Amino acid sequence: MSEATGTKGERGLSPIEFEDLRRGHAQDPSYRGEHPEPRFFVTDEEVDEFGGKRMALNLGPQHPATHGTLRVMLELEGEKIASADTEIGYLHTGFEKSAEHMTYHQWITLTDRMNYMSAINNNVGYAIAVEELLGIEVPRRAQVLRVILCEITRIADHILCLGLQGMDMGAFSLMLWAFERRERIYDIIEAVTGARLTTSYTRIGGLFRDVPPDFPEMARTFGRDFPRFLDELEGMTIGNRIFEDRLRGTGRISPEDAVSWGLTGPILRACGVAYDVRKAKPYSGYERYDFDVPVREEGDSWGRYLQRIAEVRQSLRIIEQALGDLPDGPVNIDNKKIVLPEKGEVFDNIESLIHHFKLIMFGHGITPARGGEVYSATEAPNGELGFYIVSDGDMVPYKVRVRPPSLYNYAIFPKLIIGAMISDAVAVLSSLNIIAGELDR
Amino acid sequence: MPLLPDEILRRLSDRFGDKVRPGKSPGSGQVIALVAREHIRPILAHLRDDPELAFDFLVDVTAVDHLQLELPEMEGHRFAVVYILRSLRRNHIFEVKARVPEDDPVIPSVQDLWKSALWGEREAHDMYGIEFEGNPDMRRLLMPEDYPGFPLRKDYPLRGRGERDAFPQYRPPRISAGSGEAKETAP
Amino acid sequence: MGIEKIFGDSVITTSVQAVVNWARKNALWPMPFGTACCAIEMMATLSGRYDMSRFGAEVIRFSPRQSDLMIVSGRISIKMMSVLLKIWEQMPEPKWCISMGACASSGGVFDTYTLVQGVDQFLPVHVYIPGCPPRPESLLDALLKIREIVDGTVANAGVSPETVPEPVKGST
Repeated sequence: MSEATGTKGERGLSPIEFEDLRRGHAQDPSYRGEHPEPRFFVTDEEVDEFGGKRMALNLGPQHPATHGTLRVMLELEGEKIASADTEIGYLHTGFEKSAEHMTYHQWITLTDRMNYMSAINNNVGYAIAVEELLGIEVPRRAQVLRVILCEITRIADHILCLGLQGMDMGAFSLMLWAFERRERIYDIIEAVTGARLTTSYTRIGGLFRDVPPDFPEMARTFGRDFPRFLDELEGMTIGNRIFEDRLRGTGRISPEDAVSWGLTGPILRACGVAYDVRKAKPYSGYERYDFDVPVREEGDSWGRYLQRIAEVRQSLRIIEQALGDLPDGPVNIDNKKIVLPEKGEVFDNIESLIHHFKLIMFGHGITPARGGEVYSATEAPNGELGFYIVSDGDMVPYKVRVRPPSLYNYAIFPKLIIGAMISDAVAVLSSLNIIAGELDR
Repeated sequence: MPLLPDEILRRLSDRFGDKVRPGKSPGSGQVIALVAREHIRPILAHLRDDPELAFDFLVDVTAVDHLQLELPEMEGHRFAVVYILRSLRRNHIFEVKARVPEDDPVIPSVQDLWKSALWGEREAHDMYGIEFEGNPDMRRLLMPEDYPGFPLRKDYPLRGRGERDAFPQYRPPRISAGSGEAKETAP
Repeated sequence: MGIEKIFGDSVITTSVQAVVNWARKNALWPMPFGTACCAIEMMATLSGRYDMSRFGAEVIRFSPRQSDLMIVSGRISIKMMSVLLKIWEQMPEPKWCISMGACASSGGVFDTYTLVQGVDQFLPVHVYIPGCPPRPESLLDALLKIREIVDGTVANAGVSPETVPEPVKGST
């Protein structure tokens, strides 16, 4: 173990060299305010309005205020942002390429890791897409359970976004409270699925296993206690001059822009466009429940903040109705070609053993029709999460494309912060709820 | 009232004749309109501007590499660029595919019709190498700028061709202990 | 430290060293390099229920110049590796590194073209935490093991900040 020597040049603080950076880095010494890559958001007239000298600043991939690994390259006139550009891909993992080498079931475990704040939504989205490709429908108990767990994880995602928004504004307690509430959600999810964060709960044709018998009581208790947290949150922030003034007016998006740029989710609904996949094309039994789609007109960060609180309240309504709607019955479809048989039966009778073999071994498995393809969308907490799957008749998909809501939500970000200050940029970024795992896949 | 995809396909065929080849996916029953790349812009513009169809929302732009999946309608073209459209006003959804050959992977961009095509096309270019003419920003989106190869092509291996062991990276200056100055030894 | 030059290897320096180690291990300031899902579990460890400030480690300032424990949590792609190495180099010594989760330790479930299969190819890792993501208790256990490494209770298994592996592959 070594000691810090403190003398410059010895082991200790080492100078940071800049020459070996890639072309176009904001702190490249040859950077003279002319961005080598195309800048198409600032015209010459707008440049004259700023006047004076410019500074290049890099909100780099490692930064406390960028949620995940995003890089924003800013050109500043004092504190105001003259132009901005962004670079992503620091978390690119190759999910879609992995899908071409894994069976349909094996890829379920990877779907959690995309939007890791609300893993069950991803699981359900993928399972619904493959079930549509096969043309099957799961039993009603599985549908209702999927709805309940999707809404619970949607609440988890939204309150984390609100908490992190608070942290970025400086209200650190909001983040701690949000994490405490998330821990209670983790307790429920852990009792049901066995894992806190990366659940892999759905299977093609149903669910991994049935919920424990005290699950309805746990969910009801959760639904009863939760509005108190929302009231505390609203009490802390609504009417708070500092919080409101920092968020109001920043990152305003017009409805036409929102539709043209492909925004979905709470961001789109906070601009005034009432589009929710759960209402437009209901899946998994959502048409049986009565809930509103909250819509706000402001379109700025403050509107998005209030929008998420309103959506959490609607989710609580759905959970309550779904708990009353929970039927008895199987959670897996009764199709031996798709669902694994029970382990007890596999060891007891030869038929189940054969079915088990046929589903697991190479050359068999779940085989959709050759040339079949499907695009299926569900409403993730961030927006429309779509899966476009192409099959070639093999047990391994030919192509899986994930339509990530965060990607299209983030594309508009450089345009939103022009003319704002750096702290406004941070406020806008945290209100967009960009999950880097989903953005980069 | 939302139109069913079959109806939308019929209207497109009525208007554009044999430029639109209808397709239906086995298993899921998904309806697809297959077009040649020269006609993709007028057809997509019509889908957006027609008041009955009103596809104002481009959900996704992606591509499929048909190297290992020979389908009769692909006929020697390797890539199929897929546009998934949605109408928020009328609440219907539709899918259009354009065929792109391997030796000339160029297709006109639709970023002036929908701004969401800017990043969608960037990613299709990054992953498949398809050039979108008219898109002002064709930098790579997810991979490093100087990455050799297009990852999602079928002839590109999952584990890469050694790029993950030999990538350009930041080198810290080598400093020898005991002296008061930083000696820059060649790393 | 300068005091070693004056007194050499005597009882005064070992006592001072013991006190310094005690101070270091009880006030480790982590530098959370969180990229993906493990970062959420790390944030949960820092929050109310699994409290990391019991061990003196709640000061996370995201500034490498002021921290001495780097927690690499999440998958590291080849684009991000340069950034990670630069942050590591900016941390003053003595510094330690925890590789949290399967992806940082060995690539995890992702054996693909773009992920570094284990950051220990480029950084000296002192404690590996398996799990995907590991439970907060695992991270606290790793912190306790780092404390044992800091005060010398546990031999350092040959990994020390001097032996930073040479990042020889590739060009600048």
